[in-house]
Amino acid sequence: EDAAEESNVSAELIAHRKRLVDEWNAWRAHCKKAIADEKRTRGQKVNGELHEEEKEEIE
Amino acid sequence: MRPILLQGHERSLTQIKFNNEGDLLFSCSKDHIINVWFSHNGERLGTYDGHNGTVWTIDVDSQSKYLISGSADNTLRLWSVSTGKCLFTWEFPTAVKRVHFSDDDEQVVCITEQRMGHQGAIRVFKINRDGDGTNQSPDPLHMFHPIGSKATVCAFSYTPNIIITGHESGKVALFDVSTGNEILNNERAHMDVVTDMQLSVDASYFITSSKDKTARLHDTKTLKVLKTFPTETPLNSAALSPTRPYVLLGGGQEAMQVTTTSLRQGKFETRFWHKVFEEEVGRVKGHFGPINTIAVHPAGTCYASGGEDGFVRVHHFDDTYYRAKPYGDLEIDD
Repeated sequence: EDAAEESNVSAELIAHRKRLVDEWNAWRAHCKKAIADEKRTRGQKVNGELHEEEKEEIE
Repeated sequence: MRPILLQGHERSLTQIKFNNEGDLLFSCSKDHIINVWFSHNGERLGTYDGHNGTVWTIDVDSQSKYLISGSADNTLRLWSVSTGKCLFTWEFPTAVKRVHFSDDDEQVVCITEQRMGHQGAIRVFKINRDGDGTNQSPDPLHMFHPIGSKATVCAFSYTPNIIITGHESGKVALFDVSTGNEILNNERAHMDVVTDMQLSVDASYFITSSKDKTARLHDTKTLKVLKTFPTETPLNSAALSPTRPYVLLGGGQEAMQVTTTSLRQGKFETRFWHKVFEEEVGRVKGHFGPINTIAVHPAGTCYASGGEDGFVRVHHFDDTYYRAKPYGDLEIDD
């Protein structure tokens, strides 16, 4: 109950954090796509697209 | 979270590194010795003996086959991880301050110091992985002298031939090693010496620590500062924690300056900050002097710190650390 009350008080902060996380996750998704695209244009294999004869190292 | 104390160095630690699996921890020191330890119990597995000066820097390849080290004895050395044998030695006019293996283990980049008529240089060596490892080319694949402020730290980016550097002035930059050209820089990334740089798993962002008392996250592509972690003490090291959204910062005022500064600055704690919220979440005490180097286990299950006091402390996280959700259920991408 106390915890719930506290979270009401800082609703603004929670919203702020939610926004920061959303921004961060969107940026991460963008990065991952950019790296995958760059590797593909260089003819490298991309994580998650493993070929059977050669397994790419998991970083 | 009872720490394991690794006693085996007689002088201050300069860098520590986990191998890819995280079962081994490598440490180097001003006592000229490199040690390797089992990370789970702190037992010493062996030493790499041969340098005749402070060992400033080490790195281990992804297969835990080769170790590379750079020293104040002006040499870069390649070692066999399993036998402890020095396989090859490169000699330079000045000390080697930083080394880094490329992702594919094929190359090593190193920084040599600017001193007494010698320019600071960045060299990239091709590592011949055929045979027993002793057949290396003495000549670098690439070499250049970064103009302006001298480089203090470096690492390969995810783009071939592009390295990331941190500088004495606080600058971070991207260099094309094949031409020596600075492709991009952020002159004001920090206001003082960049002391450490560690990359995210995919190298798309990295963290730097600085004597300006802050650590920062940077976007590798644009060098834009993403996050800032301000502390009250000069920082020597900053590490990213995989699997948890934290960064770990270490530093502390030099002993000779403690009396001239406020009490808090002299505290030698590893500080945990939330990577996204830029809020401090906790501190871990232990060292009797500044923390010089921090490394996090690749699986995020433990971390180690190396101090000016000559000790390495390994902290295995307990259940409460994993269960703790101080900020609720928000899912944060690594």
